[in-house]
Amino acid sequence: MSRYPAALDEIIELFEMLSEEERRELLISYADAAVRHEPAGDEVFDLEDVRKDEECTDTVGVFLRVDEADGDRVEFRISLGSKVQTLTRAMTAILCKGLNGTRAGAVLDVPADFVPRIVGAELVRLRSQTVYYVLGRMKAAVKVYLNRRRAAAAG
Amino acid sequence: MNDKIAAYAHPEVLVDTDWLAAHLEDPSVRVIESNEDILLYDTGHIPGAVHIDWRRDLNDATIRDYVDEDGFAVLCSRHGITPDTNVVFYGDKSNWWACYAFWVFQLFGHDQARVLDGGRAKWEVEGRTMTREKPAYAPSDYPRPARRRDDEIRAFQDQTLAHMRAGGPMVDVRSPGEFSGEITHMPEYPQEGVLRGGHIPGAVSCPWARAAQEDGTFKPVEQLRGIYQGELGLGEDDDIIAYCRIGERSSHTWFVLKYLLGYNRVRNYDGSWTEWGNMVRTPIERTAG
Repeated sequence: MSRYPAALDEIIELFEMLSEEERRELLISYADAAVRHEPAGDEVFDLEDVRKDEECTDTVGVFLRVDEADGDRVEFRISLGSKVQTLTRAMTAILCKGLNGTRAGAVLDVPADFVPRIVGAELVRLRSQTVYYVLGRMKAAVKVYLNRRRAAAAG
Repeated sequence: MNDKIAAYAHPEVLVDTDWLAAHLEDPSVRVIESNEDILLYDTGHIPGAVHIDWRRDLNDATIRDYVDEDGFAVLCSRHGITPDTNVVFYGDKSNWWACYAFWVFQLFGHDQARVLDGGRAKWEVEGRTMTREKPAYAPSDYPRPARRRDDEIRAFQDQTLAHMRAGGPMVDVRSPGEFSGEITHMPEYPQEGVLRGGHIPGAVSCPWARAAQEDGTFKPVEQLRGIYQGELGLGEDDDIIAYCRIGERSSHTWFVLKYLLGYNRVRNYDGSWTEWGNMVRTPIERTAG
């Protein structure tokens, strides 16, 4: 059984079948699609984490909604500042597509070792700081949400 | 050539967007994009431009150094560049990596080189044509350069240490926080394993951005003179070393001093703070608490 959510697993398998050139083209397509995962103005979220970190060249906002009635399934929206790099944009779209609908606890268990299988060993070697950033931010948002809920339940 | 560019000491190394737009079909010109954002070229670039990545294409993969003479010849051949080709560099981040690539090309003596004033951002803001079509040029026969000119425009750590001990002028072009030792990386950038914060003793702080205008173009020559001659007191014949974190921002300042102001002896210490700040028994200065 795969260690990854099914949607993410499909993306990983697709990337692994591609040549280096095709892989880059698909990454650019995902980067173009990142804007579709931005929050709409009227959406309500359980957690909003908008900040500018030293790991990224511009502000990234992670917006999380958790459907407790449906087994804690998560819905992510992510806003990206204009200076955010292309690889980060691509990973944003990939992870929103691959993780939305996953149970909150399962998001925390997703190992990061799939990233080189998507972006390729060369891009990881050349820009190692960039490729793991968004996954880290999404996991951090889920962790904060679960901790807050746990604290509220205990309090 | 516009009036601002004409006033520089070596106006032949800088072109504006009008010039480049008029030379896109010129077979003697090869446009080269070099960026920090490794996929930016793939999202769209100036028609006919090729992509050179500072790490993949210019750095040796196993030694912290640049490609050797053979590697440079292979790189140029791959992009159809000959020693007579006018290479024009542009890129993101106010041309940091464009200047870095320009500097590496100078290490190998490729004199027919220019930088696009304002870089990628200015071309885009002006609404000029971009494309995702990647050009394919017939491989050229680029002869192996006789030598890499490390001794002329590059400073190594031992040379920088001797320069420091001799009280030679050094310009630290990093941010004020990096210079003071408060932080060990650029604001908004990741820590890259530097153990100590501070600067090389005797270096003066002059962030690279002081040479740039809001739109990423270089400041006019009078303003540059006011900064580097007036404020820093640097003379045209001074033996000057510029450094930053890994040599990209100092390539920008090196370009300004050497070509826009016409200083005769300027070297880029590309090992910069990631080397100096970690080197055993190498002194540093701090001004932060």
